[in-house]
Amino acid sequence: MIWLRQALAVLAKDWRTELRTRHALHTIALFAVTTLVTVSLALGPAGVSSAERTTTLPVILWIILLFAAAAGLPRSFVAEEEGHTADALRLSALPSAIFAGKAAFSIGLLWGLELLLTPLFLAMMDLPVGAPAALVLILLLGALGLAVASVLVAAMVAQARSRGALFPVLAFPLLLPLLMMAVELTRGAVVGGLDLNVLQQLVLYDASLTVGGLMLFPVIWNP
Amino acid sequence: MPPHESCERPVRPSGTRYTSAVSPPLLIFRDLVHGFGGLPVLRGVSGRVATGELLLVRGANGSGKSTLVRCLAGLLRPQSGEIELQVDGQLHDSEARRQRIGWVGPGLAFYESLTAEENLGFHARLRGIEPDHGLALLRDLGVPAHRAAGALSSGMLQRLRWSFALQHRPPVLLLDEPFQNLDAAGEEAVQALLSAHLERGSLAVVASPIQLGLSTDRVLDLTDISAHSAAGERASGEATSDGTGS
Repeated sequence: MIWLRQALAVLAKDWRTELRTRHALHTIALFAVTTLVTVSLALGPAGVSSAERTTTLPVILWIILLFAAAAGLPRSFVAEEEGHTADALRLSALPSAIFAGKAAFSIGLLWGLELLLTPLFLAMMDLPVGAPAALVLILLLGALGLAVASVLVAAMVAQARSRGALFPVLAFPLLLPLLMMAVELTRGAVVGGLDLNVLQQLVLYDASLTVGGLMLFPVIWNP
Repeated sequence: MPPHESCERPVRPSGTRYTSAVSPPLLIFRDLVHGFGGLPVLRGVSGRVATGELLLVRGANGSGKSTLVRCLAGLLRPQSGEIELQVDGQLHDSEARRQRIGWVGPGLAFYESLTAEENLGFHARLRGIEPDHGLALLRDLGVPAHRAAGALSSGMLQRLRWSFALQHRPPVLLLDEPFQNLDAAGEEAVQALLSAHLERGSLAVVASPIQLGLSTDRVLDLTDISAHSAAGERASGEATSDGTGS
C-alpha cells in the first residue's frame, strides 16, 4: 500500500506540475503536429499509392510517435536533477515507486498524444483501418513500452553530463524491437488482421521492460 | 587529546542538561572516505552522536562538511567506511536511513510551480503522514503557504527547508548551513525548533564553517583532519565530546 500510495503521489505531482508549466505537453504536441502536417503535405492521400499505403504509413505513424516521445519524455528525470528536487524525492519515497509514478505519467501522456494524433493521421492520410479495436490495443501496448523505456533511459541520462547526446544512443537499441513489432502489428490491423505471435511478443516485451525497469531503477537512482 | 579535538559544555539552548551516559548511541560513522574526481575530501572521518545530542561539524570551505552530511543522509555513498543508524534498537541501512532523517541543505530545492503548501503536502503523502504538522510549521515559521516555491525569497525558502525537514518528526536531523539567509527572527524560530527536536530525544548534526550560537555536545573539526592527512598522519578524525560521550 505504501508503494502504491507513493507511486500515485508522484503521478499526481507530475501531472500537476506539467499542467502548470506544460513543458512536455507543448514539446510533444508541437513536434507531433508539425511532423504530421509536414508528412501529410509531402505525401498526402495521393502521395502514396494504395499498394504501398499499408506498408509505408504505419512506419511513419510510429516514427512520429517515437520522436514526439523522445522530444518530451526525457525531461521527467532531467527536470528533477536540474531543479535539485531529486534529493528531496530520494529522501521521501521508494525508488521503484518513483519509477512507477513517472512511468504512469509518461504512459498517460503518450496515450493522450495517440488519442489526438492517430485519428488526425488516419484522416489526413486517408488510411482506412480494417481492425480498429486491434489498432487501439497495439497503440496502447506500444505506448506503454515506449514510455517505460523512455523513463528508464531518462533516469540514466539524468545522471550524466552529456544528456542530449546520450538519450538517443541508449534508447535506440532498447526501442528498436518495440518499434519493429508495433509497425508490423499496425500493418496487420490496417488490413484487418492481427498476428497473435507478434502481439504476445509485444506483451512480453512490455512486461519484461516494466519488471526490469522496476528492478534496475533503484540501482540507477540511488547514489 | 588530539589537536583537532575540542570541548564544549553540553548545555541545551533551553538550559536542559544532556544525559548522554544513559542514552544509547544512534548515529555512528567510522572511517568515512570520499572524494570527487580523484580529489580526496573526506579522509577517514569517524564520529558518534547519541540520542539528544548535537554534533557540530565545522571546518573551512572545501573541508568536506556538506559531503559528510550528504553521506550521513544517504544521498552520497562514501567510497569506504561505515554508517550505522540505530532507531528503537534497530539498525537501518541507507535506504531506511533516508526515510528517517530530516535534511536541510543548500542543495535542497522544491518544485517551483507548486506552492509551499503543495510541496510539503506532496512529501507528506509520500511519507504517509497527515499534512497538518507541516502546515503548522509553515505557519509558525511565517512561510506564505499559498505562494509558489519559485516566488519565495531565499530566507523564506530556507524556512520551507526547515518545515520539510521537520514535518515527519524524524529521529535524526542533518543540517548543512541551517541558518543561511535567515534573518534574526527566522534564526530564533528555527533554533527553538531545533531545541524542541533535541529535547524530544532526537539527535542532530549541524555543519557550518562558522561558530554558531548553539550549545553543542560534540564537535568535529574537519579542517584539523584535513591538515593531519595532508601532513601524512593517520587520517582519522573523531567527533569529540565534553567527556560524557565518545
